[in-house]
Amino acid sequence: MKEVIIKPCPSYINMKRSIQHIIPSTGVGVGGHDKMNQKTKRFLKLKFQEYYNSASIHLPPELASREWGFISFDQMPETIMRRHKSFGSPGEMRDYLSAMVPAHAYHSVAYYEYPNAPNMKEKHWQGADLIFDLDADHLPGAPESYADMLEHVKEEALKLLDFLINDFGIADNNITTVFSGGRGYHFHIINSSVRTLESAERREIVDYVSGRGFDMKHILGKKHVGGDAGRESAQVPGFPSEEEGGWPGRINRYIISYLSDVTDQENAIKILTDFEGIGKITAKRLIEAFNDPKMIAHMKKGNVSVLPTIRSNIFDVLASQAVDRTSAHVDEPVTADIKRLIRLPGSLHGGSGMRVTLLDNSKLEDFYPLSDAVVFSEKAVQLKVIRPFGVEMMGKELYVEEGVQQLPEYAAIYLMCRGAAEYGSY
Amino acid sequence: MENIELALYPFVSEASRYVDSLNFSPDRLITSRALESARIRGTDRVIQSLAGNIEKPSFVASDEGKVLTELLSYPFARILVSCIDDQYLTRRYALAEAKASYELLKKESLDLLRYLGEDFSISATTDDTHLNLHFTDYLKLASPLKELEWKLVNRRMDHGHVRIAKENYARLLQEAIRKRILNGLPINVPPHMCGQCEDNLTVIRDILQKQKDDFDIGGFREVDNELFPPCIVHAIGNVRNGINLAHSMRFAKTSFLVAVGMSVNEVVDLFNVSPDFDEEKTRYQIEHIAGSSGTQYTPPSCSTMKTYGNCQGADELCKRIQHPLTYYRRKVWFKKRDGSRNTIKKDA
Repeated sequence: MKEVIIKPCPSYINMKRSIQHIIPSTGVGVGGHDKMNQKTKRFLKLKFQEYYNSASIHLPPELASREWGFISFDQMPETIMRRHKSFGSPGEMRDYLSAMVPAHAYHSVAYYEYPNAPNMKEKHWQGADLIFDLDADHLPGAPESYADMLEHVKEEALKLLDFLINDFGIADNNITTVFSGGRGYHFHIINSSVRTLESAERREIVDYVSGRGFDMKHILGKKHVGGDAGRESAQVPGFPSEEEGGWPGRINRYIISYLSDVTDQENAIKILTDFEGIGKITAKRLIEAFNDPKMIAHMKKGNVSVLPTIRSNIFDVLASQAVDRTSAHVDEPVTADIKRLIRLPGSLHGGSGMRVTLLDNSKLEDFYPLSDAVVFSEKAVQLKVIRPFGVEMMGKELYVEEGVQQLPEYAAIYLMCRGAAEYGSY
Repeated sequence: MENIELALYPFVSEASRYVDSLNFSPDRLITSRALESARIRGTDRVIQSLAGNIEKPSFVASDEGKVLTELLSYPFARILVSCIDDQYLTRRYALAEAKASYELLKKESLDLLRYLGEDFSISATTDDTHLNLHFTDYLKLASPLKELEWKLVNRRMDHGHVRIAKENYARLLQEAIRKRILNGLPINVPPHMCGQCEDNLTVIRDILQKQKDDFDIGGFREVDNELFPPCIVHAIGNVRNGINLAHSMRFAKTSFLVAVGMSVNEVVDLFNVSPDFDEEKTRYQIEHIAGSSGTQYTPPSCSTMKTYGNCQGADELCKRIQHPLTYYRRKVWFKKRDGSRNTIKKDA
């Protein structure tokens, strides 16, 4: 498959004040082309309407306290947000979706006294769910294919889930996990304890999961160890125990699993002696130690004095590696914004035609958006491709050249939403 | 709590309930001869706060009278601070009260700390050596503390609970105490009552004025951009060269410039050369930082600047300060000092 970089529209629209807001047209909105003809709009609207007539929408708790925002197909390619709406009941909300058929649907993460007040001040903010956004755009590394990108961001999502459950102690049923329909995942933490957290406090949570500002000495600290007769007392690095949980526990698990893996390999001595201060003798002793379950049990408890004396910074190096590899990259401004609008789970993403999909936390690992978030059929649809395009959907690699052709409905809709094709043959 | 503890921590709700139950009206507090010692101590509290350190007495069980004096001196001190109603004094006072409590709290039992925490709606549990509190409570208490060690990421947290040593918990309570005292001031004191305290107020006003003159408090007179710290100079240079600033640096720069006294217009003009300059949006952001929504944001400290990679070109003076504003303040002071020296030389 050819390398194609696909960037559906941003998962969030953040607008601070105006009733209508125009999102810059470079690469966002419907795919970044400057046209979407009337026929295509009509077709997409029809298909979205069919979906909304029987869709299962996941409404946020305290529906009546939320602000809503929608972007309609009609003004495309301009993306005009109609916001400051509110709904009193689930029926009203569903009727709106079926009747108006928006291209994008959002609700506020915040709870307001007057959600439909025309400006933010008059809404009277009362609290907000804690939100995390993991977006392929914010991950380090080179651009990949859409499918690879989504796999990559799923790994981050799994890391975040571990932090939420084990470090923050958030109950499974307080975490709403959602595929955004575009490039990533959203997590909504819905619990009274987090509702009134302010932006700076939410930023601290982001720093925690991303390891930002992490200072090794608070976790590893140096421990003074008295020397034997005739030997000087030495400073050995402290070592966290698995039982401590949180970052210390995570670092303990990482270092032990890293060293267990390395010492199993044939070139273990070479790898170990590459660490500053480790010679062949120490390396051999480490290999022995990591093949001894009793030693490993000691290490898990944070007891490294059972190991041969190590005059090396190996634990410091591995601990920083642990922070790099096990931290989760989340989009900070999203979490810090306590008045943001977020995609409605169960709605469709107008930049991809895929479903903003609510997931069971336990199913995240086996979730494949390019199959599992696809809602349209296999029925053939004729369309005119404007630019060559590749994507892997429903387990098939699709690569299309310019020109008129037939594609399964789900792929045709995807291409039209992305702005890579128009409906029909001219 | 025992009466002694109420006297040492007079800002807890239990202490104010106790004082209410004693039926000392503010009038009596101000005029009663029997309460002269409480008024003297109350005045001392305020004077000591200006010097930065309120001394707390130590009591023995038989000191009932002293305990009462100490307890009643607190509401009197608040009356004095409220009559003067000067922002600098109020802040200094709240900080000094909180600091003095911290010094005592460090040595108190875990149980007393836990009890005090409950007065601030924090429910902590204790084990032999530590307190455990929910991360949301931790964040609310710790977010004003900017040193890296207070970052949640540098704390021990497991299943939502942050484990904290006694001294650290006392430090967090200091912050909560400071906020409570600050938010509770000024109280509404009728002018005639302030009039009755005039002697005490004059003493405080004089010291306050002298202190303000010495430190040149009351804002920067005019903005002198030659005295900006290297990080801000670097950021301004970047903007001028068309390099986009990271969000955190934009915030740091804007909040700094507003804090040293630049107007929103002047700051907007500085950004006017950004490649993605959008005047309306920029103006909105700057107005927001400058306090249009009610909070004026203070620029981040040096340690925060370092965390986000925004500390650039640190010089010798940077090593001695912890905040970009302090850098500027010192430079302004140096310049003034050198300026007056030159004048003296010329005169000679």
